[in-house]
Amino acid sequence: MSPPLFIALRFIRHRQRSILISLAGITLGVAFFICTQAQTQGFEQFYIQTVLGTSGAVLVQDRFQERYTGILQEKTNEMVSVSGQKPRKYYDGITDPQRVMRAIREFSDVQACAPVLEDNASILTDFRSDVCRILGIDLDLQLAATDLRAHLIEGDLGTFRTTQSGVLLGSLLALKMHVRLGDTVSLMAAGGETRRYRVCGIVQTGDNLLDERRAYVHLGEAQGLLGKTAAVSYIIVKMSDPDRAPQMATRLEQLLQHRARSWQERASGNLQIFRAIRISAAITVSAIIVLAGFGIFNVLTLMIIDKVREIAILRSMGYQRQDISAIFLWQGFLVALTGSVVGCLLGCALTYGVSHVPMHIRGFFAADHFMVHWSGYHYLLAVVIAFAAVLLASYFPSRRAARLAPVAILRGAGQ
Amino acid sequence: MNQPLVCEGLRRSLGENEARVQALRGVSLEVPAGSVHAVVGPSGCGKSTLLYLLGLLDNADAGRLLIGGMDVAGMPEHELTRKRNEMIGFVFQFHFLMREFTAEENVMIPMRRLGRLTSAQMRERAGALLETVGLADKRKRLSGHLSGGEQQRVAIARALANDPQIVLADEPTGNLDTANSERVFSLLTALVKRESKALVLATHNPLIAKASDWVHEMKDGLITRTYSNTTAAVPA
Repeated sequence: MSPPLFIALRFIRHRQRSILISLAGITLGVAFFICTQAQTQGFEQFYIQTVLGTSGAVLVQDRFQERYTGILQEKTNEMVSVSGQKPRKYYDGITDPQRVMRAIREFSDVQACAPVLEDNASILTDFRSDVCRILGIDLDLQLAATDLRAHLIEGDLGTFRTTQSGVLLGSLLALKMHVRLGDTVSLMAAGGETRRYRVCGIVQTGDNLLDERRAYVHLGEAQGLLGKTAAVSYIIVKMSDPDRAPQMATRLEQLLQHRARSWQERASGNLQIFRAIRISAAITVSAIIVLAGFGIFNVLTLMIIDKVREIAILRSMGYQRQDISAIFLWQGFLVALTGSVVGCLLGCALTYGVSHVPMHIRGFFAADHFMVHWSGYHYLLAVVIAFAAVLLASYFPSRRAARLAPVAILRGAGQ
Repeated sequence: MNQPLVCEGLRRSLGENEARVQALRGVSLEVPAGSVHAVVGPSGCGKSTLLYLLGLLDNADAGRLLIGGMDVAGMPEHELTRKRNEMIGFVFQFHFLMREFTAEENVMIPMRRLGRLTSAQMRERAGALLETVGLADKRKRLSGHLSGGEQQRVAIARALANDPQIVLADEPTGNLDTANSERVFSLLTALVKRESKALVLATHNPLIAKASDWVHEMKDGLITRTYSNTTAAVPA
């Protein structure tokens, strides 16, 4: 054991109370940091899962045509300007979905894709009428590309599969229309075409905007009802690595000349909110660690004032300046190390406990308890912050101790 | 080594600007191994300043200092510190023991820095030194729980921990009663003689000065008179 470490350990042992208070601050700071990051990122991850589960990593939508003006344009008598791109011209939907899907499946990152025809309609029962969004789906492809199976809270997909005039209703839409499994509803397209459908299932994504609007019917039925034979509105693309969706969207746009939107682009507003909450929580909780760092600073500064003669004696006995500095840095390091280890364990326990706290959430996503995300990154970040705060707080007192001139102290010692 | 400590014409000024005073104005001294030198004089005459220079805790403005025959002028600070650890032991008026450590651990502090002995060897040597100063039975006691005389004896053991060639003592008995003063001084001189070390001590105590081999009287930063207690006085 190095002499500075030996001395540091002894100093800590004899300053237990004040060191323990600072240690408690570091420990709690680390634990709360881990727990709050796990919670905020847990909810964020669950929201992302909901987005991916309902509309995939990438949505391939309307076909477009790039338009350019002449490259060289005369602007004045003498000047010639180089012109750029004009806005794209979009064509509604995808007219040849099979060909587009074949091209999409060529990408190794793509796990599945599913065509969807979506449009506004009216839903009618004996009780009331309301607006809804009809989603014409190919059931097998939809099940492969989304979490529809997991979102089904009532009913049976087998019945829906075999019932040509079957419909799956969003949970809030069914509630609003006062319909149950087996009931019949009418869907009326904007053109006036009306057909009757039997409710085969109730779907709950957790996102109120979807659950109070969506009515899933078979793709062929939707095309007939909406008068859009062979066309679809978009294709849902499921990817093995959703984080690469922006790159995939760019490549699909270039290749297919169809608008392609990644989930990050579609959910950017909400993701920014989650990120802001996470950063805000990190800053708030880091303040606890920083305050604990101030505690360490105070403890070490007072210790140096108290130990000024001992420091002079150590120097007279041949301890180098860096040895003196190391005595105080070791104390900070040991506090940071202990606080980090205990804080990580406590943070882990807190996170586990919080994940079992019942909590009914609907509106943004459906959850019945606190969502947490287990990530080593949270622990690493908490430890880095703790070490940075404590070592910085230890550095200045330790530097001060190392700079003490032994002669000046010894000269004044007898006075 | 017959002359572990030699200094020639040491000068040192202290303070800034108008408050600057010449604490040492050319002090020369030769301290052979196995001899006890007392530096006496009124307060402020430069005794402590001389000891700090001899102990490499401070740098002279001018003059030459040889420790173990080696001129220390121009040595970097870390080298001076290392030399201090290896070759010099200090005893101060106030013992300055670390109260968090036992008597034995206090004695082991310089040894830990030197790093030449194992833990067991350090413990054994500390035990032997404490036994020499009559504190074998109190080696495991926290230093704060010892009496003033006992603490100073621990400080002596600590000063001898690394077997230094030179022992410097600044008023080592200044904070002790007469009985303890005599005991501590006897102990210190006996150890120095037995182990052939050079001892320079600053003191106000005429009895201690009288019991030393050589006495150097200082006044206003100069050694005005040097005499041996066994031979005739030698003017500086």
